[in-house]
Amino acid sequence: MLASIAAWLASTPASMVIQSQLWIIPTVQTVHILGIAVVLSSVGMIDLRLFGLAGASSSVSQTAQRYLPWIWAALVVLALSGALMIVGEPRRSLLNPAFQWKMVLLAAAIATTAAFQITVRRNVAFWDLAPSHRPWAKALALATLFIWLAIPVLGRWIAYIVVDEAA
Amino acid sequence: MIDIPALLAWIEALPISLAMKESAWLFPAFESVHVIAISLVVGSIAIVDLRLLGLTSNKKPVSELAGEILPWTWGLFCIALLSGAMMFCANAAGYFDNTPFRLKMLFLVLAGLNMAMFHLFAYRSVHLWDHGTPTAAGAKVAGGLSLLLWIGVVLFGRWIGFTIQG
Repeated sequence: MLASIAAWLASTPASMVIQSQLWIIPTVQTVHILGIAVVLSSVGMIDLRLFGLAGASSSVSQTAQRYLPWIWAALVVLALSGALMIVGEPRRSLLNPAFQWKMVLLAAAIATTAAFQITVRRNVAFWDLAPSHRPWAKALALATLFIWLAIPVLGRWIAYIVVDEAA
Repeated sequence: MIDIPALLAWIEALPISLAMKESAWLFPAFESVHVIAISLVVGSIAIVDLRLLGLTSNKKPVSELAGEILPWTWGLFCIALLSGAMMFCANAAGYFDNTPFRLKMLFLVLAGLNMAMFHLFAYRSVHLWDHGTPTAAGAKVAGGLSLLLWIGVVLFGRWIGFTIQG
């Protein structure tokens, strides 16, 4: 089914334009990388604060409120620029195991980040009073960081896994 | 004068370069590290730039924000530099002849000069505009230029992959 969606997408006028104008893909990829820069740096700032490595003059919830909206806004930019790349090269992405795993990890990263945001909103004290007594919260933050880091790695690997044309 | 073609050939003949060239996964592995490191360099610098422009993080003093972020930025920059050097080794002559690569290096140098000028001039009076907004005009110019130059570094970096020969 994915193959037929990919074949249909590749035949759309939008895809033809992206395929024929050689500057579009690298430009969209640049926007995509800048979006990744915003997400990873924002996640990094929150994690540095959670682990007490930077930003101690702000509370965890202040740091979260400062950077979480940037994560969500950048994810919108990433979804739009990513969608353009899929329309331009549907087979290369949709049928690619690296892309498929990337989407699974993206769902996990969004879920854990949303869960973190909800706990911060519901109970500011949970994070601010004694964060050092919350080892599992730190473990969750570390796991989230690694998921976020794995996503661009899988994204880069899309370019190196050749999708069988007959598939 | 340095014999550049000979130097590039010497780099490409290094065992590390041959390994990068022959392995199917070494190049994408270093490229992945490079993308993550450069994303974090650009993103963390952007946090400081936006503060210099007086657009975000305005409750924090400029010096405090810069002090807590920039040491991490430098560490990540070293990772980006080393992983980039590994990629260069795999195809030294190809990168050297590549126009987007040269433009990327130019923008990198300009970003460095912009930062040096900022520290030599505008940052000296930081005690006058450290808290709240507005920041000094020189700080705004440095912050805006930095954002544009680093976006250029990413843009030309991505363009290398579409234009490099060999």
